[in-house]
Parts: sequence; structure tokens; C-alpha cells
Amino acid sequence: MKVIVNTGTSIIQAFYEKKGSTLKNEYRQATAVAFMDLRDMQKLSLKSRDKIKIKSEWGEVVLYADVSYDAPHEGIIFIPKGPWANIIISPETYCCNVPTYKGIPAEITKTDEEVLLVSELMNKVYNKYNLNNSNLSEKPLYKKKGDEQ
Amino acid sequence: MIEKPIKDYDKEVKNCSCSYCGNNCDDITYLLKNDEIVGVRHACRIGASKIINDQDQRLLSPMIRNDEGILEETTWDVALDKTARLLHNSTRPVLYGWGETSVEAIKKGIKIAEITGSVIDNQSTICHGTSIQAFQNVGHPVMTLGEVKNRADVIVYVGTNPMDDHPRHLSRYTTFPEGFFRRNGRQDRTIITLDPKYTNTAKVSDKWIQFNMDEDYLLFNALRMLLKGEELEEKEVAGVSTQQLEELIKIMKNAEYGALFFGLGVSQTLAKQKNVDVLIQLIEDLNRYSKWSMLPMRGFFNVSGFNIALTSETGYPYGVDFSRGYPRFMVGETTTIDLLNRREPDFFMAVSADPGVQFPGYTIKHLVNIPTIQVDTHWGPYTELSDIVLPSTRVGVETEGTAYRMDSIPLFMKKVIDKPKNCHSDEWILTELYKRIEQLKQEDE
Amino acid sequence: MEYILKNGIVFDPKNNVKGEQMDILIKDNKITDEVSSNAKVLDVTGKLVMPGGVDLHSHIAGPKLSIGRLYRPEDIRRGIKPPSRNDISGFEAGFSLPTCPTIGYRYTKMGYTTVTEAAVPPLEAKHAHEEINSIPNLDIPTLTLFGNNWFMLKYVKENRLDDLKVFISKWLKLAKGYGVKIVNPCGSEAWGWGKNVDGLDDAEPHWEVTGRQVITSLTRVNEELGLPHSVHVHTNDLGHPGNYETTLETFDCVKDIKKNRNVDRNQIIHCTHVQFHSYKGTSWRDVSSGATELIDYINKHNHLTCDVGQITFDETTTMTADAPMEYDLFRLTGLKWANKDIEVETASGLIPAIYSQHAPVSVLQWAVGLEFFMGVKDPWKIALTTDSPNAGPFIRYPKIISWLMSQEKLQDMLDNDVHSWATKRTDLGTYNREYSWDEITVITRSSPAKILGLEDRGHLGLNAKADISVYDIDVDDFDPTLKSNSETIENKLLNSKYTIKDGEILVKDAKIVKLVKSNHIWCNVKGLENSERLLENRIKPEFNKYYTIKYENYGVNDHYIKPDTQVNVEYMGENYESN
Repeated sequence: MKVIVNTGTSIIQAFYEKKGSTLKNEYRQATAVAFMDLRDMQKLSLKSRDKIKIKSEWGEVVLYADVSYDAPHEGIIFIPKGPWANIIISPETYCCNVPTYKGIPAEITKTDEEVLLVSELMNKVYNKYNLNNSNLSEKPLYKKKGDEQ
Repeated sequence: MIEKPIKDYDKEVKNCSCSYCGNNCDDITYLLKNDEIVGVRHACRIGASKIINDQDQRLLSPMIRNDEGILEETTWDVALDKTARLLHNSTRPVLYGWGETSVEAIKKGIKIAEITGSVIDNQSTICHGTSIQAFQNVGHPVMTLGEVKNRADVIVYVGTNPMDDHPRHLSRYTTFPEGFFRRNGRQDRTIITLDPKYTNTAKVSDKWIQFNMDEDYLLFNALRMLLKGEELEEKEVAGVSTQQLEELIKIMKNAEYGALFFGLGVSQTLAKQKNVDVLIQLIEDLNRYSKWSMLPMRGFFNVSGFNIALTSETGYPYGVDFSRGYPRFMVGETTTIDLLNRREPDFFMAVSADPGVQFPGYTIKHLVNIPTIQVDTHWGPYTELSDIVLPSTRVGVETEGTAYRMDSIPLFMKKVIDKPKNCHSDEWILTELYKRIEQLKQEDE
Repeated sequence: MEYILKNGIVFDPKNNVKGEQMDILIKDNKITDEVSSNAKVLDVTGKLVMPGGVDLHSHIAGPKLSIGRLYRPEDIRRGIKPPSRNDISGFEAGFSLPTCPTIGYRYTKMGYTTVTEAAVPPLEAKHAHEEINSIPNLDIPTLTLFGNNWFMLKYVKENRLDDLKVFISKWLKLAKGYGVKIVNPCGSEAWGWGKNVDGLDDAEPHWEVTGRQVITSLTRVNEELGLPHSVHVHTNDLGHPGNYETTLETFDCVKDIKKNRNVDRNQIIHCTHVQFHSYKGTSWRDVSSGATELIDYINKHNHLTCDVGQITFDETTTMTADAPMEYDLFRLTGLKWANKDIEVETASGLIPAIYSQHAPVSVLQWAVGLEFFMGVKDPWKIALTTDSPNAGPFIRYPKIISWLMSQEKLQDMLDNDVHSWATKRTDLGTYNREYSWDEITVITRSSPAKILGLEDRGHLGLNAKADISVYDIDVDDFDPTLKSNSETIENKLLNSKYTIKDGEILVKDAKIVKLVKSNHIWCNVKGLENSERLLENRIKPEFNKYYTIKYENYGVNDHYIKPDTQVNVEYMGENYESN
């Protein structure tokens, strides 16, 4: 189904972000979510917390679907700002320095794929350090001084 | 979620200044037990989470990536030396962030940018930078929030949802409190929200006007036309009926004191700064009939302070490029997202900011190919992309310093508890970096 | 450190030294009459020596400047100068809105050592002081805005001058302010409703208080406290044709108030940028100069002083707490308008201004300013300002001096350069006066220092502050009255040979050689502490209700004012000079 993506702050996402809990499941549950008009959900036979894959010109990512309390806004989905939304929004600034966070055309489909935690997502999408995803979790991965491997 | 009141504390510290959003509420009480903060009074949910935050995800020691790509703890000397060397040897460094640190630290950052020929930029570049461009195009009719509290009888929120982003904005500054000329608070005021969504702010407003996304420019121009007495041929503009628009402009025109707040819903949608241009012109026009002023809803608690400090020191508000030894500012050229999209930078340092949370994926991809430094308090998406991590302290909790509210009122933020042992303030870290870079420059000569 | 400034031609009007060749001795930060044999000799034989420059009214720090810079990048670009090699000062940026460091560099190079920031709202005083920390090399007193403050309006309305006195004393401490500034009293408060007041006796609609009541009450309180500076007034009706009558009434409304016995200054009211307040007529079409009447009043009375606010024919930026006037200008010019209303205290506004020598109104304003310079007979009653940057940026002072010193130059401008309104609509053409170096020293040093009540500067007497400027002008071989020399005057005065502040050489041969932190000068009234505490307790609940920050977070703490000079005033009760 074709949709327009709107991103922005939600109070729950901001709560976990400001708390410093971005690696944790609670942040994923609050942020990796597409809030949809109930009528749109029904069109795809989606229940709350079902998973969807969303694809734009710039990338694709798996999110939870949930009912929007700000409806009606048929055809528009809202994703809290964060590492998941970033993958599909447009970097285009039109020479005005602000990328395009709102009004991105995208397509959504129902999926069984998992919604990734932040550490997994960053490693999988950007792959800067070639880490093994199975080592990544809600806990920070680092070596203490003098740790033996 | 019902939380029990906290009774088990041994000390209260009053009138602390919150370190979350541009509201900078300065009436916060911290409750302490054994020199730890165990409770927070008066803060909103998000503010409280910033003050009592996750300690198991705190960055507690400087770290550098080892050969396996894993961050490994190291000493401050090693981490600072390496950072200074990387920055000194780079040709197109970008120093980004600054929204959640003190003006004192920001001023050190500007000095580093100057001596290293860096670009220094803050979150304006992804948020209200377009609003600042509009101020530069058209004008800047603003006020402090107390003017709204004391005088305003009509308040308009456009493309912003303070109930979620700036939770105490309505209760502390605009809608609910008693004002000198508005003794009955909420009852004396008309609140109108313009938003494509039925937001929590719309829900507490007297009037919600839903308009089509990306059609802000059209909408505001139509309002200007109506104000000037022109007639609209269309029955509907941006999804809003002409009749609704006529009613709206009538309320605005008849206000005794009107205040308009706008957010990223205006500055980030398609026409960007052009949206804000028209909005400013609307405010200017309204001042022929009554009194109106406006304010962008600034996000981080010191994003405005960075703009102020940078203009004091360099003349320009954000996106300042020192590569020629003197400041240059060119929207779309010397601004972070454009630089990264063009794959120009060869060094990137984020201070009290998380590009992993804030930047588009396409933009972030360049950070994979260049040295990246993080100066921050907590583990976050950007840590997963950082080569060197320098753990810092929380302003207003562990470190004192100055911040500017969204309406540019300066506030002095207190130090209330001790910092974690091996963390240092942003100001200290940047001062140390500055010294080391000066040393490297002397060695070059 | 000790210095002997040798063989300069010294102008020190306060001590009656009018161009004598003599040595000035410096020990540490003071002028002295004896130095040891270790003293370093600076040979300035034949060169022009004056006390360090004192500016009593300029806009250099605080929110207005920030807004200006933020919304006028085109002005920043105009003043860009890359850092020069081997120079310790950095880049410069900004023309009418220079960056903080640039302000310090430019003033120091002009030989100025004290500059007053003329309008600071207490709520944002931390901002002003923070900016002062980024301006190098100056002593900076700040004037605190009181002319539209709600507590003041309440006390005036209820005629509680004792409370007002304690309030002013306390608020100067909170804002770390030096003196009392009044801007368009009641008008800026009326602007809270998009209105203005018309003249001295038009009451503000809500408070029912007039500008006259505000000015007389604050003047009384200022004199009872014995503050070093008098009230500093930007009168109502700025920039409106016909406003000279309001100005005249303002001059006159305080004349019976007695001056405090302990102060050094002569005046009880300082009226600032009088040029903007001296127009006759009913519109910009039939406008003409009202300066003659005002000059006549000033010449006949001793209770007031003024500065000029001289137009310099530049594209500049206007900024003032007189916000309704800025909106009027916006309606007139359509240039981009900035406004900032500040809760409980004031409003403020900005707009770019283009003063052209071909535009009749600009030229009229230019000529009115010069009329004051020419017409006010006693130079101790007047000070040179441009209300920087309102009528032009401060770097134009030397240019103005070149006009004042040469009738030939001025006549040439009237004949060839400027619009005919200069002579048709003003009396400028009737004057025939040339300023001497002695008089220039008065209007740029001695008189502003005396008006401000800063007794330790503006002269070179024993124990005066060692603030000295030396210019590369051979006084006895240089004729400043020649038109052909006017450019030389400007260049030499823009680039001092030496600027010495507190006995330290900051500029040598037009190059900045040392940067020091600027000094925050503020006024501390002693003896009212108990009353201040009681007042504070009464005010706090109201304060916390109507401001949006807590009283406890309002004041400027010591963090922001390092280093500072606290000017102590002992409160002695009613202590007036007899007439």
C-alpha cells in the first residue's frame, strides 16, 4: 500500500531517548513503530504490533504497526524520529540544509521479519566495523581496560 | 502509569533548570539521597527522564576501537591525543552537535573550529535552520514567553505538538497559567492548532484545523489574502474550507495580543523556509490591526544558545566554515547534511548530539568512511559508528553552565551532584583538545 | 610596570592642559608624578596625546545585537577581514553589527578604553555580560532599562517613591547595572498592545501613568540614591516630525529636582541621541529642524547634558527598546523588521536603515546632529555619539571629528555632496565654528566621563586611571581645518599610535599587541540592605507569578562578571545640593 510518511517526536520515544536507553527494547518498542489510521490497517489486515516492511526511494526497514491516536489521517503514517525512520527518509535538502523528514512517499507490506534493536540495526545497515550481529544486544558491547579476550 | 510519591530523600535542591527542551523550566526540584538524585518534582515526564537517567547505559570511560572493531577502554591522554591528531591532520573537519551542552563549552568548541579550519554546526541545521533563513529573508518579530502568559488572548500552534515535544509549554507559559491581564488563565484564551494530525495539542485546543501535508505555503498565503480583504475563489485551500479560514483570520485580527508558535511541521515540510517567510509576513500584517508576535518551538535546551554564542563570536548563527581562517556561512554549502551528502568531510566529531538518531541514512553512510568522535554522556546509535568515545557530564546536573531558552532568556544551570569519576565536562574535554592542537601546530612550525 | 610617555602634545581639558608638550608618567595602572629609573620611555615627541576615549552611549552587547547579527548576515559579510599574520587579534566580521571580538578590536584601535552599553533589560542581563566577556580590551558599564518596568510603573502610579528607590538599588545589583536608562517611558509598554504614547503627558492605557511621571520619579530617586550617573533618557516620540516639543518639555520637566550633594556630575538628566528628537513639522514632507530651540534651552540651563546620535550616511542597523517606533519605520521603509517584547520590562525592535546623502530626510537628520555640535556652546554639556549603530557605526567617529574640525570640509559637503534640505530646512549653514583638539578631547573623553560620573578617567591628572591614547599626528605641523587633511584625520584617529589601558600597552603603531578581558563596571548602593530584603520578600510572589523564570534564577551571578569594578555608593538619605 502506498503511503506518505511523516516523522517527528513522540513523547514516549523522547522519554526513552532522553533517558539514554536507546539500545534497549523499550526504545525499540516506542520508536520502531508506524502509527497508522485504523482504516489503513484494516486494508492490510494489520493488528496492533504486527510487523510491516516499509520501503522508500532511500531504503527499507521493518517496523511495528500500531493504531494512531491522532487519526483521522488516512494514507499518512507517522513514525517517531530515530534510527529506524532515518533509513527511509530523504536526505534531500533542496539546498536549504534541512533534509526532508516529512512527506516521504513509501510503500508498506506486511512481513514476518524481525524489528531490529539499535545495535543490530546500526551494524546491519551501515556495517562500519563488520561485527557479528549475534554478539549485539541491549547491552553495550565494549572491552574493559585490561580485559582478556 | 501511576508512580508513588517519593518520600525517602535527605535533601531538596530547588529552582534547578531542566536540561531537556527549549522550555528550560527553571522551577525543578531535585530530591537527593546520599548525594544521588532519587526524585524530581515539577518536571515533565521527559525532563524527569533526562535528570534521572539510565546509569547502565552511561559512557563511563574513554574508549577507542581496537583492531576487531570493538570499543576498548583507554586513558584520557591516549584518547585526547589521538582525537587531537586526527583533527589536526584532517582537511575538512566537521564539529557538530552542541544542543545539549553549555554556552561555556560551545565557546571552546568555536575556538577549536577557528584554529583547525573546521565547519562548526548545530542541530539548527536539521531543525529550525530554515526558520532562521526565513528570519534573514523577511524579519524576526518575537517575544519572551511571559508576554504570552500575561497578555495573550489568542494562541495559535502551527505544525507543532508541544504536548508531546515541550510538555509544559501550555501549562507553564501560554495556555493555562494566570497572567497579569488574563486572570482566569485558560478561560481567557482561545487556543487554535493547525496540524495535519489530531495531535495531543489539538485535543486540548478550542479549535483544530486540519490541513494537507506539504500545503502550508498555500494555506498561509490564503490567510494573508483574507486578512487583506481579498476574496478566495476556491471553496477549499490545502484541504481547509474557505469559511473555516475566514473564521480563523477573524479571530486572529480581533485578538488583543496574539502569539503564534510554529514547529518542524512548518520548517521541515516541502517549501521549508518559504513556509516560514509567509508566516512572518502574516504576523507583520496582523500588527496593523492588533498585536502579534511569534516564536519557533526550539527543541534542545541550548540549541538557541548555540545560535547566540556563534553569532557573538563569528557573526553567523550556524553552519560556519573556518576553512579560510575567517567565518563563512552559506546555506546548502557549509551546512552539515549537505557536506555529508556530498561526501566532503574527512573528520566528524559530535558533541552532545546523536547523528544516529537525527540524520537520514543516506547522510550517515559517509560516517562509515571517516574518523568519527563522540563526546556524550550515554551510549546511543552514534556510539555504534564512533571510533573514539569521550564520556562527558550532564549540564544542569553534574556541571554548571549557561543555556538560552527558546525565547533567548539566559539561565544559569547548577551543578547539583558529582560527576562519575572518569567522566569530564564538555568544557574540560574541549579545553584539553584545544591545548593539544595548539601544541601540534607549534610542532609543525 | 612603569612608563614615561615622552614629549607628546597633551590635551587634558579637565586639568587645563591645552596642547602642552609634556611627559606623562605611568606607574602600574595609574598616572603618577614620579617613576623609578626602570621606567620604560615611549618617545611620542610632537604626537597628539589624550586620555583614553570614553563612549557614553553605544550598543555593543546583549539580545539586540544577537538578533541583529542573526537576521542580517549581509551586514556580517560586509565587515569580514581575515586575520593578519603575526597579529594577535583574530578575524573581523560585521559592519554595523560587529562580532564581540571585532567590537573590542575596533574600539581599541580608535584609542577608546571605556564604552557604555546603553540598554540592557535585566531579564537578559546575563546575556549582555556574557557578550562582554567576549569583547576584549574595554571597561564596560551597562545601563539598565527601567522606563517601562511594571514594578516601576506600579510604584509611580501609587506614588511610592521609597519603594521605587529600594527597587532601583536592588535591581542594579541583580542586573549588575551601572545606571538608570529610560526609553520611551510608557510607550514601549503600550506596544504590548500594539500602541504607543503620544508625548510626555499621554498616559499608558492600562497603567494610567505618563512619561512625565516616570521621568520625574526616576530622576528624584536617582538623586536620592546619589548614583554616579544621572538618569539617561531616550525621550518619547523619537523620530517623529514635531517631536522637538516633547523633547523640550522633557528637558524642562525635571529642572526643579535637586541634585545629590555627593555626585561629581553637573546634570540631573542626560538626554541621549537628541538629534533623533529635534524635528519640527507634521510629516516627513514638511519636516524641518527644531534644533535651534533645543540648543537655546541647553545653553541657558545647567541641569541637563546630551549626546548627539550623529548620522554618518551609511547603511546601518537601528536597534532600540522603542519598539513602536521601529514598527513605524517598518511601515515607512518596508525593510525587514525585528521585534522582541520582553516580559514585565520592555520591548525592543530593530530594522536596517539606509542614510543617504541624496535623501532629503537623511540629510536633514545629518544636519540636525551637526547643529547641536555647532550650537551647544559649552562642550562639557555634549558628547560625541552616533548611538552606534543607530545613526551609524562607531568606526565613523573619526570621520565626524574631521567634519567638526574643518569648516572648509563641511562647506564643501553642503555645496557639493548633500541634498539641499541641509541648508534649506536647518540652520546649519549659519554656524561658523571649528572644533579645536581641546574641544574634541572634551566631547570624546572628558565630558562623557564626567557625565557618566566616572571620575577616575577622561583626564590625565595625578592618580587618574592610566588610560591614554596617542595618535600619529604631529599637532604643531598639522592643520585640521584644511579639507585636504580630513581623510588623514580619519585614518590617524581610526588607527592609534598607542592605546594604553590600565597602564598596559594594548595598541602599538596601529596594531593590537595585547588582549585583556573587559571589565564589567556596575553600581553597588550600600546602606539599603535591610529595606532591599523586605522589598524582595514582598516582590517575590508577584515576580514568580508574572515572570516566567524564578526570582532565584534572575540575577546575574559572579560567574558572568569577571573581572568587575564595583562602584560603591553610600546611601546617605536625602542629601541635596541647595539651589
